[in-house]
Amino acid sequence: MSVQLELQHVSKVFGSGVGIVHALTDANFKAVSGELSLVLGPSGSGKSTFLTIAAGLQVPSSGRVLVEGEDISKLSNRQRDRLRLTKIGFVLQNYEMLPYLTVRDQFKLVDRANDQTLSETELKHLLDELGIGHLLDQYPGELSGGQKQRVAIARALYQQPAILLADEPTAALDSNRVQIVGQLLARLAHEKQQAVVVVTHDERLKDFADHLYQIVDGRLSQES
Amino acid sequence: MRYGLIIAMIVLITYLLFMLLALMNGLSNENTAALKSWNAQTVWLNKNANDRLSQSIISQQQIGRYNPQHVAVIGDLPGQLARCHGAKHKANVQLVGLKSGDFIAKKKIQVISGHRIQHPGQIILDESLQNQGYHLGSKVTFNGSGHYQVVGFARNAKLNIAPIAYCSLGQWQQIQGNHATASGIVSDQTSTHHYVGLQRYTIDNFINKLPGYTAQNATFEMMIAFLLVISLVVIAVFLYILTMQKTKQYALLRAQGISAEQLMGAIIAQSLILIITGLVFAIVLTLLTVRLLPSGMPILLESREMAWMTLAILGIGLLGASLPAIMIMRIDPLDALK
Repeated sequence: MSVQLELQHVSKVFGSGVGIVHALTDANFKAVSGELSLVLGPSGSGKSTFLTIAAGLQVPSSGRVLVEGEDISKLSNRQRDRLRLTKIGFVLQNYEMLPYLTVRDQFKLVDRANDQTLSETELKHLLDELGIGHLLDQYPGELSGGQKQRVAIARALYQQPAILLADEPTAALDSNRVQIVGQLLARLAHEKQQAVVVVTHDERLKDFADHLYQIVDGRLSQES
Repeated sequence: MRYGLIIAMIVLITYLLFMLLALMNGLSNENTAALKSWNAQTVWLNKNANDRLSQSIISQQQIGRYNPQHVAVIGDLPGQLARCHGAKHKANVQLVGLKSGDFIAKKKIQVISGHRIQHPGQIILDESLQNQGYHLGSKVTFNGSGHYQVVGFARNAKLNIAPIAYCSLGQWQQIQGNHATASGIVSDQTSTHHYVGLQRYTIDNFINKLPGYTAQNATFEMMIAFLLVISLVVIAVFLYILTMQKTKQYALLRAQGISAEQLMGAIIAQSLILIITGLVFAIVLTLLTVRLLPSGMPILLESREMAWMTLAILGIGLLGASLPAIMIMRIDPLDALK
């Protein structure tokens, strides 16, 4: 078990003078392979800022973000793009997909961007694991909400990233579905040895977390 | 559907561009086909002829001795040709008189049926007059008088947007009447030779001074230039709107780690595919149209100019794609999380 993602004294400030906003203040965080870390917080607490900084989508005002021990603040934009493509998987809140590509082509697109080809068998295996192996030739418009969600998770896992970041993955889901998603994310962490980080306001996911963090007004704290 | 509309628009604009280009070439060719077939490089006219071959009169003394291998003395007279029997086949022509020993009469007239002029009273007509009821052996009059026999038809025998009727220089002198020896001198070489009382023209200079030639070409060039600008704006706007509609999806791809350069490349490739598809349809449509149009229409497709126009449209397409490409560069991957 190794530390895949680490935030050291990270702060993020927007604006200046009277309009200054402290979105994140002195945040310390570690995500370890094989464990699921849950960051809980209400709307406006700084969850999105935390997630985007952890993913290298924006740089902190101060502090360091380390991915596999490397400070990503020092990387160029292109290097950070590459890092997201190869080491970080994203599951977004609205399971956004390209509407004009079939499920299979959503994955091929990532292949093309990454100059690699995962075999059809590997892709099928990944989708079968998530129970959506039969949907390869469907378009996003033909999928149910739950199916879209699993495709989005599969896409995040496709590059076999060391880190999986999930942004409100259970928003607007019923309790049954929350259980399924929670179990799936926990299983991914434990079986695939990925560092899974879930940012959410949904307390129903607490049961699946190996580590629980609270974020309120930009201040991150670990619960024992 | 949206892409179909863009392709249809590119097809229509480029089809119009190709047809305008063909029409410009066709009309230009009707002015200059004969000069090009003679391979004329230098022309001399009477300096008081107002740059018009048909208004120029030169004398034997002015011509002097010359090398008929590369220099030809020609007479030009616009007028009306009519068949002796059946007045309805009248045609406006340029009557061009040639000396049988000069290089044009000997080597440059492209006879496609019949034979060259062997005796006075024989004429060779431009091939287009075959569609107006003139045949080998037809007896014709010029400006209502004389009896001449059509002994041949020639290709590329057009001057000043009129078909040429070639006759011997002696015949021309007889019809012209006022003791003129010829209208001008033509050489197939770039020459600086000075003839007394005559003005020398390079072939480009001479063509540009043909009545209406420059104005006609400038009009077409302006239309083509405007159409190119319009196509640039339309392509850019369409691609811009398409890109705007997909901002969220591009942001998602950026968040996943696909670089802005890769997305930009995709946009440019997409634009190229749309434009090339449109161009292929437009070229096929143009070729079909040209084939179906009546042969008398002044339409001339030249592959070299078509190729240049195709490249210009491709270039414009790429330029049009640069606007959405710049947009892509500015897309913030954070938008995917909003």
